[in-house]
Amino acid sequence: MSDGNGIKRRDFLKVLGVSSAGASLVGCSTDEVEKLLPYVVPPEDITPGVATWYTTVCQECSAGCGMWVRTREGRVVKVEGNPAHDISGGALCARGHSSLQGLYNPDRFAGPMVREGGVLRATTWAEAEQLLANRLAAAGSSLFITGDAGPSLADVVDRFVAATGGSRVRYGGVSEAPLREAARIAFGRDEVPSYDMEQAKFIVSFGADFLEGWLSPVEHGRGFARMHGVDHGEKGRMAFVGPRLSLTGQNADDWYPVAPGSEALVALAMANVISGGGASAGPYASVVNGHTPESVAEATGVSAEAIRELARRFGSDGSSLALGPGVAGQHRNATASNLAVLILNAVAGNVGRTLHFRDADLSAPSAPYADIAGAIGRMSGAVVLVHGCNPAYTLPAATGFDAAFASADFRVSFASAPDETTATADLILPDTHFLEAWGDSNPRPGIYALQQPAMQAVPLFDSKQAGDVLLSVASTMGQALGAASFYEHLRTRWEGVQAQTRTGGDFETFWRSALKDGVVRVDGSGPEATSLRMPDTALVFDVPAFDGSASDPILMVYPSARFGDGALNGNRPWLHELPDPVSKITWHSWVELHPHTAERMGLVEGDIVTVASPHGSVTLPLWPYPGVREDVVAIAMGGGHTNAGRFANGNGVNAMDLLPAVIEAPSGALVHMATRASVTPTGERRRMASISGSEDQDDRNITPAVALTALGHAADEAEGDHGPRRELQGIGGFVPVETDGEPQDFPLPGTEYGPYADAKNLPRWAMAVDLDKCTGCSACITACQAENNVAWVGEGQVQMGRDMMWIRLERYYEHIDATKASHVDVRRMMMICQHCGNAPCESVCPVYATYHTPEGLNAQIYNRCVGTRYCLNNCPYKVRVFNWYEYNGQEPVFEGMGYAPEPMNWQFNPDVTVRTNGIMEKCSFCIHRIKDAQHRAAIDGGQVTDAAVVPACSQSCPAEAIVFGNIRDPESRVAQLAGDERSYRVLDEVVNTQPAVNYLKKVTFHDVESGAH
Amino acid sequence: MLKRRTLLTALAVAVLGSLAFLRAQDAGDPVAAESFAATNTVQPIAFPHIVHAGTDQIPCMYCHFSAERSVDAGIPPVRTCMGCHQVIPGTTDAQQAEIEKLKGYWDRQEAIPWVRIYKVADHVHFPHMRHIAAAVDCATCHGVVEEIGVIEEVNQPLAMGWCVTCHREREASTDCSTCHY
Amino acid sequence: MSTATETPRGALAHPDVTSYSDVNRDVLRPLGKPGKGWWILFGIAILGLGVFFTSWGFQIVKGIGVTGLTSPVGWGVYITTFVFWVGIAHSGTLISAILFLFRAPWRQSIYRAAEAMTVFAVMTAGLFPLIHVGRVWHAYWLIPYPNSRFLWPNFRSPLVWDVFAVTTYFTVSAVFFYLGAIPDLAAARDRATGLRKKLYKVISIGWRGTDREWHHFSKAYIFLAALATPLVLSVHSVVSWDFAVGIVPGWHATIFAPYFVAGAIFSGVAMVITLTVPMRKAFGLEAYLTPKHYDAMAKLCLLTSMIVLYAYLSEFFMAWYSGEPAERGVFWNRLFGEWWWAGWIMLTCNGLIPIMLWFKRVRLSIPALFVISIFINIGMWFERYVIIVTSLSHEYEPFAWGVYRPSLTEMGILVGSFAWFGFWFLLFTRLIPPIAIAELKEVLPAPLRPNAVVAEGGEA
Repeated sequence: MSDGNGIKRRDFLKVLGVSSAGASLVGCSTDEVEKLLPYVVPPEDITPGVATWYTTVCQECSAGCGMWVRTREGRVVKVEGNPAHDISGGALCARGHSSLQGLYNPDRFAGPMVREGGVLRATTWAEAEQLLANRLAAAGSSLFITGDAGPSLADVVDRFVAATGGSRVRYGGVSEAPLREAARIAFGRDEVPSYDMEQAKFIVSFGADFLEGWLSPVEHGRGFARMHGVDHGEKGRMAFVGPRLSLTGQNADDWYPVAPGSEALVALAMANVISGGGASAGPYASVVNGHTPESVAEATGVSAEAIRELARRFGSDGSSLALGPGVAGQHRNATASNLAVLILNAVAGNVGRTLHFRDADLSAPSAPYADIAGAIGRMSGAVVLVHGCNPAYTLPAATGFDAAFASADFRVSFASAPDETTATADLILPDTHFLEAWGDSNPRPGIYALQQPAMQAVPLFDSKQAGDVLLSVASTMGQALGAASFYEHLRTRWEGVQAQTRTGGDFETFWRSALKDGVVRVDGSGPEATSLRMPDTALVFDVPAFDGSASDPILMVYPSARFGDGALNGNRPWLHELPDPVSKITWHSWVELHPHTAERMGLVEGDIVTVASPHGSVTLPLWPYPGVREDVVAIAMGGGHTNAGRFANGNGVNAMDLLPAVIEAPSGALVHMATRASVTPTGERRRMASISGSEDQDDRNITPAVALTALGHAADEAEGDHGPRRELQGIGGFVPVETDGEPQDFPLPGTEYGPYADAKNLPRWAMAVDLDKCTGCSACITACQAENNVAWVGEGQVQMGRDMMWIRLERYYEHIDATKASHVDVRRMMMICQHCGNAPCESVCPVYATYHTPEGLNAQIYNRCVGTRYCLNNCPYKVRVFNWYEYNGQEPVFEGMGYAPEPMNWQFNPDVTVRTNGIMEKCSFCIHRIKDAQHRAAIDGGQVTDAAVVPACSQSCPAEAIVFGNIRDPESRVAQLAGDERSYRVLDEVVNTQPAVNYLKKVTFHDVESGAH
Repeated sequence: MLKRRTLLTALAVAVLGSLAFLRAQDAGDPVAAESFAATNTVQPIAFPHIVHAGTDQIPCMYCHFSAERSVDAGIPPVRTCMGCHQVIPGTTDAQQAEIEKLKGYWDRQEAIPWVRIYKVADHVHFPHMRHIAAAVDCATCHGVVEEIGVIEEVNQPLAMGWCVTCHREREASTDCSTCHY
Repeated sequence: MSTATETPRGALAHPDVTSYSDVNRDVLRPLGKPGKGWWILFGIAILGLGVFFTSWGFQIVKGIGVTGLTSPVGWGVYITTFVFWVGIAHSGTLISAILFLFRAPWRQSIYRAAEAMTVFAVMTAGLFPLIHVGRVWHAYWLIPYPNSRFLWPNFRSPLVWDVFAVTTYFTVSAVFFYLGAIPDLAAARDRATGLRKKLYKVISIGWRGTDREWHHFSKAYIFLAALATPLVLSVHSVVSWDFAVGIVPGWHATIFAPYFVAGAIFSGVAMVITLTVPMRKAFGLEAYLTPKHYDAMAKLCLLTSMIVLYAYLSEFFMAWYSGEPAERGVFWNRLFGEWWWAGWIMLTCNGLIPIMLWFKRVRLSIPALFVISIFINIGMWFERYVIIVTSLSHEYEPFAWGVYRPSLTEMGILVGSFAWFGFWFLLFTRLIPPIAIAELKEVLPAPLRPNAVVAEGGEA
């Protein structure tokens, strides 16, 4: 029970060489003799103890964010956005960060597997490839189902199926087929446009949750924050038109809670107003003309005035943008809705300004469900290969995929870890994780990026890049696909890319710089679509029909903000424990009903109900949410795995089971909003694993806001309620000294001895968080978890309130009204350790385990902590988290509790102590990054600049809302933001803690009571 | 009737006993304990620092290549050893035997499982490069390896008090978070 | 020493007790062969100890998480029970030292039991900080001693003050208890035989009862009494500062020190009643623990209960008057929030039920007092529970509010702590005269035949 035994920073990581992992994992018990295993031949780019960075491309969703991968001693320990990359712009989403747990997923296949007598047995690659070759040769016909795959891999697959006489079907759990089809109809462009939010002054989202997962969330998050964040007294506005407030909706300024499926009507009515009866709507003049605000008011549930107001704001000067409806809104007339939205954009002159076809979103998942539906019919007797998707899980049961898949002659999966599809596969050829493999991406016509292996494939898992498997299988079958290895194939293709850049020079140089920069730009822009085109398809814009009895609420099955469709990322504790940005619930599924509806049914939060549609039923707890219409019941995708690994299985429900297999004509998309569902109580209850203690600020004024109109003179009232304060000198004695309570005032005179003697010349690290920009996407939380070895604790512990996140993203409702069009006001607070100048936690710690460093950090010395928990009690922000158990061991202390089984612990950041049982911890302002910068400055010379120190949260924030730096330096951004009129410090006036974290108030369009405390 | 002396003795014993206990706890200080973990262990190859660093005057940083730019000093890769021992077979039989072992590892392309001697506790950050930059002699912590045959735990306890003393003498920071975070 | 002519104030007048020999007979009787009842109680205590140490061991092996504690409620049953026992520990010194200094005559019969209670209660309380911390194997870091890390504890932390307060209090009260018992131990020695005799020989450090010894004894006793008296006030003030120093709404109040001291005496006296009533029955000490004594203790309870109730009310008033939402929220929560039940148990047991003590009939009815004292014990435990848990669960940050549900382990340790206390107290009743013989004799009418006394060793 000594520190040594407990605190395993750098576990084996101090030891060089991957091979040593096993040897040194025994921790540090003193009787254990530790082996040092040097490299035989040192990799030239690795210095022990110094991080090596590689660029690559995130494959967690189709957006194609450029990544930086941080490795230590040959192991990937962190991923970050590549600032040079146009899509990620240096940021990353929570799912992107969690890819580390996909890489180190303990349930990954140990190697190729073949099913014999119903059970999988390990086999060799040679044997497996031979087997596949034989079966392909025998069957003659093959069916290759692929999910998101980089262009080069896709090319290999196409060559493969061509050579082996098969066919390829693209499939994804979520698909923008209707948008793509609508674009084809409206502009003759069979593509998904890209959106330039930054240029827009007014955005209307018709249900598109572009901040959570729609198309390219990180890019959109950045664009939206820049457009919506206040700047010189101006800020863009967003309206949300849809039946449910997603996270995106919560960020809107106005909510038009329209009847499900009536977005098209609103869009057309707006177009009608803008175009003066449809005059400028070209071929759609008559349609637009037919929809006046008055005529649609009834069906949409939004008053004509409201629609006119909305249209007026939308304007016609091309500075607005309409989006949607997105996946959740894919009903039987989805293409029509998308078309209506495109018409609206066209009428307002946005096409070519805020909405672009010239660099269309090539990576957008737009494969129509119809394709795989057709494939289902052709499966029996064929060899079916599945790569990069999990149809058995993401397809509704009603589609009959399982039966068809079972009827196939031979089932092959390339999944690297178990999933519902591999559950019945005959042959498993585990692909490498994208962090271990070569590949590329081409998200926009002009943007190429290479995906390179950042570490050797995790030795515990004998995986092989799918491209190489296909090439060698093909050659076994006597087919040459033009390359010996996928790497070679990739390079050949990239010679083409180099040609496009017209830079010339030798390829090796180009290749190296491409790897170094992580992105290659070519002038590949296509033509811009301009005028609307005559429709070649008959479309109905009316509210679609829904299955089920009219008395039941309409079922919305929406992509999870954390998991998306959850196809392949279900086995990641980080994502499960990440509180859902909207509900703040972790781990399990929940069903959303409007509080009124719930009340009518006599239901309260935690009541377990059965949600039944004509096509299936699921049982899950209720979470009343004022952000859904009273006639809607909503469930997130991504839960209820049955064969995805220890952390995923049996967790929540799979809402797809409720959906019918309805194909939306003409796009061929799967209809997500197709049916009504009944909600019946089971009489049981459960305690939700939620981190939300209260949704009401209860007059605490934690997150004050300021009205846009009040900006400029908000300052006067905020100031003046206190003059200079008199402070006790802390350690220095009991004579009060005068201070304005500015962060730079600390340490106070009289305490400046010992290490504090020259504290005034040292930096004081501080942070500024712009709550007007923060969208609540929660990327910072997972980034922090990955960076600081923050443990996950498991569902039961979260239920008890023991979640260990260093960042608590608080969410308070100020105003949400689902009954009529009105403003939305949801406040957010990124609550972290405030590193108070007057820290209440410091004075009460009996052993100085927490104290103030001369640089103004509130340090936590883990190994000194005895665990009295007084600091936790005395922290008014409640940002301190306690290790109630050993959450980082090889085994869980009790069933269902957090632990880090091999090789999950390979991800531990060697620069940060891994905490053990009985210890308090909290946000450290990424002190190890500060130290690292200081080390570098010390040996290379030079100063520690703000730029050199960027905490993980700030680094990964798509909204650029978090700024860190030395507040003593008046030039630093943090100092300037702290001086902003919107700047305030939480609870400072109440408990005089002198926080180092300055928050910038949210700016609203509606009036709010002044932010003054 | 008991003697007063008896009472006093009892009292003294009690006081000293408890103090002794507390000191004993310090001995249990992981920093110290772990550094002693590997004493008297046999290395896979009897590597004589006395020859390399002593007789041959090879600078420490030649083998421990990353000490001046990294937190880790770095254990020389087998290739580094072979760099010289391709041509240096050793003089005595004993030496040749050991060098043969080395060649064996090289031929098998296998890492040499050196037994770790120096280790600060995992909650202590010891950035080698800062100490090199501050011109701290390697011997300060690792002993005068030029004069030691087979390296062993030199009597430095690597205990906190020992670190702090040096930091105080050199007026380096004694702020807790200098080493613990 | 009293003379035959005048009977001193508050003299003991009981038909059964006429001579010193009666006293020795009655008081030393319990030291004889234990009855069945004692063995049963002792068995229960041993059983409880089993529960106590099993639970603690389980917690140490698995982690502090086996409690129901969580964020934001970092303190719960353990600290509650700690404060509870420290409180219990108070009446002992109060009764023996303060009442001694004020020459309250009725204390003689009860102070021995009260002192024993004090010592054992502190022994119990002292365990809880250890049980409570996350890494008990490092708890000794709270003790200031020269160490190889060059580190000292943080003397600004109330928890460090606690270490001093509690250890000091334990030392002094233990010495005081032992010193006061020496003459009676000698008396016991003179009666005992075999091993017991040897034991008493040692611990009565050769007391012979000479005038010189008596002279020194009484001097030393007065000094210690004077020394112990301020501690009665200081210890619980320090304990109260554990909370008052914090900025937790519901803790941060200047009234805490007097409020806690009063509460401590309140609970302490109640506990004395709870313990002496059965003891008196079991050992047939009715003659020495008369309703008169209980009446006096009841009055003490009544007084302190009023002080405590006043403290409650003023807290509620100040919370409302402060206008501070967090402060108001906490106190509203205590009355009508999720913790209403705890809040009302506290008010009823400590504020309302003691009102009955206004009636002399109640004060003179031993059974009634016994029942009331039990209620007070419960109430005072809940007072600490309310202060600690309700405050923490609803602090400044609404989003961080949480619920605390004590776990089985905590309950096991809570119950076990009573067993631990009972274990020592039962041993006490067997090994040390439960009532101060010597002082009793002071208040007895002087014997008719002085030489009758000489027969009784230990008294001259």
